[in-house]
Amino acid sequence: MKQKLNISNYIVLLAATAFFVFPLIAAFEFSLRSNQGKSHDWSNYQWILHEPGFRTNLGVSMRLALLTAVAVLVLMVPTIVYLHLGGARWKRLVEFVCLVPLVVPVISFALGVGTAFPTFLQSTVYELSFLYVIISLPYTYRALDVGLSSIPLLTLVEASRASGATMRQTLVFVVIPTIRSAVNGAVFLAVALSLGEFTLAVLLHWDTFPTWIANVSQGHILNAIALSVLSLVGAWVVVMIFALAPKSLRSSKSQEATS
Amino acid sequence: MTTENRVSVQLKGLRKVYGDAVALADFSLDIAPGELVALLGPSGCGKTTALRILAGLDTDHQGQIIVNGKDIASVPANKRNMGMVFQAYSLFPTMTVLENVAYGLRVRKVDKEKRNKKAQELLDLVGLGEMGSRLGHQLSGGQQQRVALARALAIQPNVLLLDEPLSALDAQVRTQLRDEIKRIQIEVGTTTLFVTHDQEEAMAIADRVGVMRHGVLEQCAPPQEVYLNPANVKVAKFVGAMNLMPAQIISSDSLKIYGQSVALRGSSATSSKDPLALVRPEQLSLTMATSQGPASATVFNLTFLGPLTRISVRMNADARTLFVSMPSAAALEFVAGSLVDVQIHATSVLLDS
Amino acid sequence: MSQTITKRTDAPKPGVGPLHFANRLGSLKSLIPLLPFFAFIAYFLVFPLTFIFRDAFLSNDGKFTFENFAQCFQGVYGHSFYVSIRLSIISAAIGAVAGALIASAIVKTGTRSRRAVAATASVLANTGGVPLAFMFLAGFGTEGLVTKALKALGWNIYGGSFTLFSASGIILVYSFFQIPLMVLIYSPALENVKPEWREASDSLGGNRLTYFLRITVPLLFPAFLSTALLLFANSFSAYATARAMTSGTLPLMPLLIGNLVDGNVIANQEHLGHAMAVCMVGVSIIVMSIYLLVLKFSKVKR
Repeated sequence: MKQKLNISNYIVLLAATAFFVFPLIAAFEFSLRSNQGKSHDWSNYQWILHEPGFRTNLGVSMRLALLTAVAVLVLMVPTIVYLHLGGARWKRLVEFVCLVPLVVPVISFALGVGTAFPTFLQSTVYELSFLYVIISLPYTYRALDVGLSSIPLLTLVEASRASGATMRQTLVFVVIPTIRSAVNGAVFLAVALSLGEFTLAVLLHWDTFPTWIANVSQGHILNAIALSVLSLVGAWVVVMIFALAPKSLRSSKSQEATS
Repeated sequence: MTTENRVSVQLKGLRKVYGDAVALADFSLDIAPGELVALLGPSGCGKTTALRILAGLDTDHQGQIIVNGKDIASVPANKRNMGMVFQAYSLFPTMTVLENVAYGLRVRKVDKEKRNKKAQELLDLVGLGEMGSRLGHQLSGGQQQRVALARALAIQPNVLLLDEPLSALDAQVRTQLRDEIKRIQIEVGTTTLFVTHDQEEAMAIADRVGVMRHGVLEQCAPPQEVYLNPANVKVAKFVGAMNLMPAQIISSDSLKIYGQSVALRGSSATSSKDPLALVRPEQLSLTMATSQGPASATVFNLTFLGPLTRISVRMNADARTLFVSMPSAAALEFVAGSLVDVQIHATSVLLDS
Repeated sequence: MSQTITKRTDAPKPGVGPLHFANRLGSLKSLIPLLPFFAFIAYFLVFPLTFIFRDAFLSNDGKFTFENFAQCFQGVYGHSFYVSIRLSIISAAIGAVAGALIASAIVKTGTRSRRAVAATASVLANTGGVPLAFMFLAGFGTEGLVTKALKALGWNIYGGSFTLFSASGIILVYSFFQIPLMVLIYSPALENVKPEWREASDSLGGNRLTYFLRITVPLLFPAFLSTALLLFANSFSAYATARAMTSGTLPLMPLLIGNLVDGNVIANQEHLGHAMAVCMVGVSIIVMSIYLLVLKFSKVKR
């Protein structure tokens, strides 16, 4: 509901915009500098693409993101669907467990992982995926839980069974299509986290896209800044598209009777 | 479009508890082939529990469920071939209306052309033939419930189960749709169990009404029977309005109320020193009085309800308020303050316990 | 009316539901479908955590000791503990106040702009590490545009002892994600403040100050405090950004732990890292417990 903003509101908003936008603009300006500051062009933006290791490391991170997304779905979707259908008594316990990764600082977690896991597990970069599943739990759980709470899941399942469907048919034809937007949300969170995660990767001595960028940036400040600007603006554009898209393109809401 | 397989349903001795609370206590009900029985009662009386047990959605109970002679208590819900209409929100949101109706056939592996044809037939039956390609949320509440009904009927079920299908709808849509449901049920001929807390609804469409309270089936009889000859006080008070009138017990089957003899139905046993009899407003009538008598009263309010008028009168003998219901034309002669005589026209009445 | 119906049919009692086996099972058996989940958690979360706890009490020759913990509170390590906490408090305070002010302004605008702000805030709240560090270096560095602009306005930020590579610099940079985080999480609480209350207060004779003190503050305090605690925990645990900016030279707990892991280890201090990690978990637990308690006492819908 729209209200009128007063003068102090405007001042606050102005200051906020300045604080957040100026560094970005400044960084942008910086990133366009080339030739020891004598001219401005886009050369810094193209640099990263040609750096050796760009493809490899990006590939690693993307594969990690894919594995994380799949692992999250396989682990969480059946769990949460079960919680909403018959396992309601365990909901609070699962909720609590999913909050633990928020409490444990990633750095401590990384130390624990390094100490605890046997060498065979630590020989592949994909160990990170499982760890990413854990750190993404608070967010993916919430996304799935909120999504599932907003649909009359029990009624739909009963209607499906009363119509003669087996549990498997119900899951495939009714449940999964209906929770599609919640699942998308969870996958999005898992992927975003995997692509940007730095701490675990670096402390477990793996090369992923974020760690590689950190390394390579050491000697090439301008290029690194160009990359920072690009990633920030890119992410923002993607998110804004989803936020401002007309309602029909966003999550599908189930029945809203008009009368 | 009629079903050849009209089945009879017998629920025998159903018992269910939730911890300490008794949901159903030795509940037994017979439904004849093609009959529509309405289970009526307040929330928590067990009517929905009974329905869900019949549907197979609740398997934690004792008792027998016999359909067409066979006990199906061990048959899982999806194999019972019963069509169910839920209260609300049961249309699958990602499927079109046609796909919703065809769903039951789809899970029975009927091929696409055949099942869509059948689904369309049913949509026409419920009056929504043009809406096949819409999504559930684009329809009004009443339309959604029609689709739900079509979906339940598409599988040609042995039994049709309706769980308060009209409770979520506006009053006007409710009356329209309930007549529709009755019409369709007669046409298709499926044995039907209909659960509701709305008396008018139950009486309007049922062949028999089963009044339930606290997990017990108090009476199951045609609507007129339940209304005019309630089996006990609980049913009498729940269905329709009742006056409580002081009665003298003359014998085991007759009472005197305000000087008039009235037959007593049911037990004359009562723990109260001043027993009260239950009389319906329309079982009372008024005549203008010229002098005081044992049944004299003064009119103090008239409420015009369209075809009927409800007149509240205060008995001169004990200042008790009674409600009298009569056709509006007849009520015209009375005004507030009129001195009247109250007459009881009931063939028999019950004593309040 | 439709709301009550949804609640009625869609709140399954434990053990009741369309899943047959869940109906008939005792309470422990209904846990079976959740076993894969708990197994995963046990191995990938609980197991590493138990190792930190175990190793924290080990000395270098494998004997049980409290020595590691004692060291946590002394010397350079104790100092880093102090610096971390102090920095986090300040960062949380700045983020909370600034974020609350911004959120108060945003909540007055229309739905669409609120959604846009939420989206932007979510992106900003997740920036960190190298991208953030370098962006600030670019803008606020000695050659940065912001520095030059401020110089032109007469304010030389490097006139004193300020440097981006200090605790104050970190606080400045952290604000970039702390403030949006506050806006993101605190805004829903603000949406519960109804303008009708303001009107009622005015009509009863209250002025702006009384309204603020008696109505807004009691209502919003739990949400404000709890989110501020979240900001504290966030700042306390942050690693990537600090590392990117200072290459691990600042006395912050996460950085020290990171150094120990990275191999800048002095041989007999391996388990010290574990003890520090445990300390960090301990602080987080305390903060989150207070957070949950405060939330419980707030009667406002989140």
